[in-house]
Amino acid sequence: MKRPYISALLFCLLAAAAGCGKQPSAPPSPADRAYDVEADWNDPQRVIPLGYRAAQGKRIFYTQCVWCHADATPAGPSNRSNVTPTPPLMNDGATLNKETNATLRNAIALGGSALGKSAMMPPYGRTLSEEEIAELIEYIRAIAQPPYQAPAIPPSGSAAK
Amino acid sequence: MPAEHMGRLPLRLRYIFAVSSIVFLATLAISPVKDLQREWKHYKRGYVRLAEQRPDTKRLLADVHPDIDQIWLPEMNVVDRCTTCHQGMTQPSLDDASVQQPFRAHPPVPHSVTEWGCVICHRGQGPATEVAEAHETTLAWEQPLLSVKFIQGSCGSCHQGDLSQTPKLNRGRQLLAEFNCIGCHRLEGIERPVMLGPDLTRIGSKTSREWIYKWLKEPRTITDANGTVTVNGYETEEAPRMPQFKLKEEELRALSAYLSSLRGQPVPPYSFNPRVVAASAKNPDAVTQGEVRFRQMFCSTCHPLAVTRAGETKLIGGDIGPELTKVGSKVNRDWLVAWLRDPQAYLPHSKMPRYEWSDEDLFRVTRYITEQLTDSDLLKDVNALPAPAPDEIRKGRQLFLEKGCASCHHIDGVSPQKDFGPELSALGAKNVSQLEFSQSRIPRTLLAYIQAKITDPSSVNTAARMPQYHLTADDLEAVTIALLAMTGPPASPGLRRLVVERQEPVFRPSGAFGKVYERYKCYVCHKFNGFGGDLAPDLSYEGSRARRAWIADFLKNPQTLRPTLVLRMPQFNMTSQEANILADYLSMALQHPSVDLEADDAPKFTPQMAALGKELYEVKYQCQACHTIGSSGGYVGPNLSNAGNWLTPAWTEAWLRNPQALVPGAIEPRRSFTEEEVRALAAYIQTLRQSAKPAAGAASHGAGQ
Repeated sequence: MKRPYISALLFCLLAAAAGCGKQPSAPPSPADRAYDVEADWNDPQRVIPLGYRAAQGKRIFYTQCVWCHADATPAGPSNRSNVTPTPPLMNDGATLNKETNATLRNAIALGGSALGKSAMMPPYGRTLSEEEIAELIEYIRAIAQPPYQAPAIPPSGSAAK
Repeated sequence: MPAEHMGRLPLRLRYIFAVSSIVFLATLAISPVKDLQREWKHYKRGYVRLAEQRPDTKRLLADVHPDIDQIWLPEMNVVDRCTTCHQGMTQPSLDDASVQQPFRAHPPVPHSVTEWGCVICHRGQGPATEVAEAHETTLAWEQPLLSVKFIQGSCGSCHQGDLSQTPKLNRGRQLLAEFNCIGCHRLEGIERPVMLGPDLTRIGSKTSREWIYKWLKEPRTITDANGTVTVNGYETEEAPRMPQFKLKEEELRALSAYLSSLRGQPVPPYSFNPRVVAASAKNPDAVTQGEVRFRQMFCSTCHPLAVTRAGETKLIGGDIGPELTKVGSKVNRDWLVAWLRDPQAYLPHSKMPRYEWSDEDLFRVTRYITEQLTDSDLLKDVNALPAPAPDEIRKGRQLFLEKGCASCHHIDGVSPQKDFGPELSALGAKNVSQLEFSQSRIPRTLLAYIQAKITDPSSVNTAARMPQYHLTADDLEAVTIALLAMTGPPASPGLRRLVVERQEPVFRPSGAFGKVYERYKCYVCHKFNGFGGDLAPDLSYEGSRARRAWIADFLKNPQTLRPTLVLRMPQFNMTSQEANILADYLSMALQHPSVDLEADDAPKFTPQMAALGKELYEVKYQCQACHTIGSSGGYVGPNLSNAGNWLTPAWTEAWLRNPQALVPGAIEPRRSFTEEEVRALAAYIQTLRQSAKPAAGAASHGAGQ
């Protein structure tokens, strides 16, 4: 007589327990989560993960900028040595990390002469969209050596534009 | 039971009622408690805690409510509850790697999350409300999340053409076509390449049975454990197209017997002018001169050769034609001469242009190829094979069909089997339970399945007929992405409307121009109205850009203004008549609608304007950063030393106003020149002329070509 009650009780408890306790699995490695990757220019073994925007920046870099801002180009030798003063390598963190995003944006969009620098850097503000320039800056930040540290979020709500 | 009798229930029964009521109530209570413990509620609370720690709390919490959130798009069959946990998705301030998932914002991409949902791109199970069910393969919900590394595969489900934002997908599709995957598999939207494996109808007249045996046994291509691809022992970045078939000794003998027996109609050897032959025999430098000619003609633009520099051997040259470092040990001399004179006579679909040869050049270059581009060790480990026996030939022919060789290599009278391999048009949408893993030790995922099938088919199925492909890690990733994009016909009417069809422009003009265009295969390197290669400048508007006389001179004697480039326009030795046919057509038919050659400012150009232009060029805009005049300047843009003879004034002005309007994607940025500056610069550029032979060439608008 007692048995059915106990088994009914057990059944209820089991039903309640089912469905608990599934654990989320470990996340994949950063390179697997990345839209694209770029080998560190100074250390080809090190792979830098690039998000969607930095990956678009990489594409723009290799079309427009690589000719003067890198020592190796997809076609022919670099033009860097023909330009005076010598343009910075695009991964030169020591030079570029100091500059704010706004300064880099202006250098790209308005060209060197607008910033009192070399006129050999042409303006890209009518060729690239603001979005593309932002993507390019994201790429420049991603490949910087030494690595770029984003400034701390300011205390007021200015982070969300 | 009447109420007055209740008190008369035995004590024991009352006890049972009491206990069971308590148990019943407790059981009922489990449900609300369990509901409170749901995984997604945990994340809801976590997000509120995160928002409270951040400066823009109010903004972050504006849309938060305590229930399950979902994006419902009935048109596209989308019910995505992902935003229940991924609550920061549309908050720009959370687009930062320091924000822990699931709260990070989605990076800005061309499609908005709220309009498209999540699973169209990321896969996984939209309606699920538990982490594992949403992200992984579970018993009832099979579709796992797609790693972002392969996400471009999702773009390709709708975008059937190439997008600049999806380079890996584009590369993968190009490889599917290049490897001729559709020779055996049905793959919707992957076109048959212009060039498959070589036609083997007369292979026996080209090379020896020993060479065929060696090639089939040990294709010259080897990929080591690090994924380094070597061709003939030289490192290369190009993926070789012929896959590896694991053939047994008797199969090698049979196939080599069959193939070497294919000779076709015998072609009488070309008879050189005896004076040329006699002069060459007496000339100790004939072979060296052949090499010089080989280089001058820029054969290396299409054919790579192994070059040793500083102890490191690498392949240098283009990748359109085969690598030639050891070709002298492969082909027989009479075949080579006939091939060089008329490649299409042997191989109608060959991309090789039909050069105009003098006997002297042909003899010298042939001697160079057959005497210098050789390797005496190439066949040293192959025993001499006897003349093929009839039963070997019969067996070889049968093997040729059974192994699927006929899917890539044409032989007259041999037709390939239809649907040799399975259809793959919907492979990318398959669930794990639909894939055949048999007893293999491959991880049970679609990605692992696809990659194992390509790199080592026998690891999935020991009886696989599919050969083994050696791909670099990047190419394997690209091909995988392209196959993931093969998700079959769209599942809903909404999705069907989203499909962006692939555009396949074709430019095959007829008439006299069409004949010369075909003879020199202009489209292998140049693009014409969207059709053709991208090694050399797009010629769709060449008639607006270049002066007719310059085009004709250039075609007869192409000289690059980019001496730094390895790949340059070959010297075709075309006749004046052919050059004129091409120049006439280019200058009359290939014009840009917005460049009006009639409305020419040039007559109004004054020396003062040119002087102002020179100053703008040198001082204000410093164009010398990218362009060379004379011997100084940069080489991003073309050399302008002879621009006055080369460029039309109308094109120069239109280009200075907006380069991308003429050539989309041009490297030269669009400037903000005033009209006065445009005319001054154009006037200056028109003064740049070199008399004598025009030294301008390869009129490229950017080194990116």
